[in-house]
Amino acid sequence: MSADMKAGAPRGGMLVDGLAQVGACGLFLLGMLGAIPRSLRHLREISRQIWFVGAMSLVIIMISGLFVGMVLALQLYYTLSIFGGTAALGTVVALSLYRELGPVITALLFAGRAGTAMTAEIGLMRATDQLAAMEMMAVDPIAFVATPRFLAGVIAMPLLANVFSMLGLLGAHLVGVTWLGVDNGTFWSNMTSNVDVWKDIVNGTWKALAFGVVVSLIAVFQGYTAPPTSEGVAYATTRTVVFASIVVLALDFVMTAFLM
Amino acid sequence: MPTAAAADALVEVRDLTTMLSGKAVFAGLSLDIPRGKVTAIMGPSGTGKTTLLKHITGQMRPDRGVLRVDGQNVPALGREALYALRERIGYLFQNSALLTDYDVFENVAFPLRQHARLPEVLLRNIVLTKLQAVGLRGAARLMPSELSGGMARRVALARAIVFDPMLILYDEPFVGLDPIALNQVLKLIRTLNRTLGITSILVAHEFAAVRQVADLVHLIANGQCVASGTPEQLARGESDWTRQFFGGDADGPVPFQYPAGDYATALGFTGAAA
Repeated sequence: MSADMKAGAPRGGMLVDGLAQVGACGLFLLGMLGAIPRSLRHLREISRQIWFVGAMSLVIIMISGLFVGMVLALQLYYTLSIFGGTAALGTVVALSLYRELGPVITALLFAGRAGTAMTAEIGLMRATDQLAAMEMMAVDPIAFVATPRFLAGVIAMPLLANVFSMLGLLGAHLVGVTWLGVDNGTFWSNMTSNVDVWKDIVNGTWKALAFGVVVSLIAVFQGYTAPPTSEGVAYATTRTVVFASIVVLALDFVMTAFLM
Repeated sequence: MPTAAAADALVEVRDLTTMLSGKAVFAGLSLDIPRGKVTAIMGPSGTGKTTLLKHITGQMRPDRGVLRVDGQNVPALGREALYALRERIGYLFQNSALLTDYDVFENVAFPLRQHARLPEVLLRNIVLTKLQAVGLRGAARLMPSELSGGMARRVALARAIVFDPMLILYDEPFVGLDPIALNQVLKLIRTLNRTLGITSILVAHEFAAVRQVADLVHLIANGQCVASGTPEQLARGESDWTRQFFGGDADGPVPFQYPAGDYATALGFTGAAA
């Protein structure tokens, strides 16, 4: 066997494995969607998961949003002052946050905070036979474990992204108006007259919803299919962050191109 | 190897063949589990005892063969029918498999909450009755992380019997138990069988413990049932299999050495032989 063939073999294997993973993930999504009617019987579990992935992520989302807004105001004030356009600070910050940074950074933080928790929890449930025990008690783990977490992520992400953007605006206001002296009325009036609810805020929310679907799907799928060992769960958790981050950034480009 | 009790078997296994990673775990396995008795499945490690339990509960499908539980061919059952069957089967996992987010009470109540719409008072009474049966009513509000191994196994047993199943499967119930906990579990298995008439299948290695509770023992090796009988019959060791397994001989029909190439060659002594 030549060196070229040897080098080519693993690449072909990885490609096939990667495609098989995508296919398995798609089938898993169909399984979860099919289990939604049965999952709705577990409303208490869904609301418990919304609390865990949504409410418990609020602090990190709010703090990050505040600082991102503050940094954004500083950088944009500097850039706009070159052109004498600091009056547009509120508008530019709001458009950046609602259209782009809010959904994307929230999704990345969500993958790190809630996605990893979902993967590790489900992976450990498999490793300790809890999922098998549910199967043996005639309880479908897809309907009781996977789908409620997936739905919770999909519901929580758009809400968290909007909270992020709102706190970002507050941070930008603190820096731009309170510290750098931009006129308060100009800051808000320019923003409200140039930011469109449907085109900017709703489109940003659609993005956040799509990111919620992919991040939650990747997190739940990785946990559900993690090898039942400590190493397997650790790798699955890492894969959740890596895959979710790449998919979010790639999907962001595609959605931005279509929503522009 | 079908037994004389085949006519009243709750579980019938016929010509079961299962391949895992290219290796035959079962090669035409046939046996019966009589109704209302405690049957132990014994055999060397890796012989497929837990796999057999997974076949019985439909967690794994065999490649060939028939496996009937209460007259239903499990490998042919659809999801709904399989889940309906599982509601009549209790399964005690080797590691207890308690739900770590729920306390002891909620773990035992879990199957009831999922499948029966019972008034809270009735549900509470059923759960407390089961916990009383395993001696842990006072531990109802403890979390699984606060339980010892023996206590966790008893909670799992309470959960397994909460629906008064027709069949309980015990997967290595004696592993890691101190003598007190071991006797408690033994007593519970015997009591459940005698008072409620629950058919029990026990996968275990501890013959001394099995002897105290089992009515029948099936010895599995090489993918087949190589011996069946009461614990006393098997202890007499009338075949090479029973002599090795129950006598604890290191070598015999089950080789001590995992299949390997020539030892001298592996050590680089090929020239010495010549």
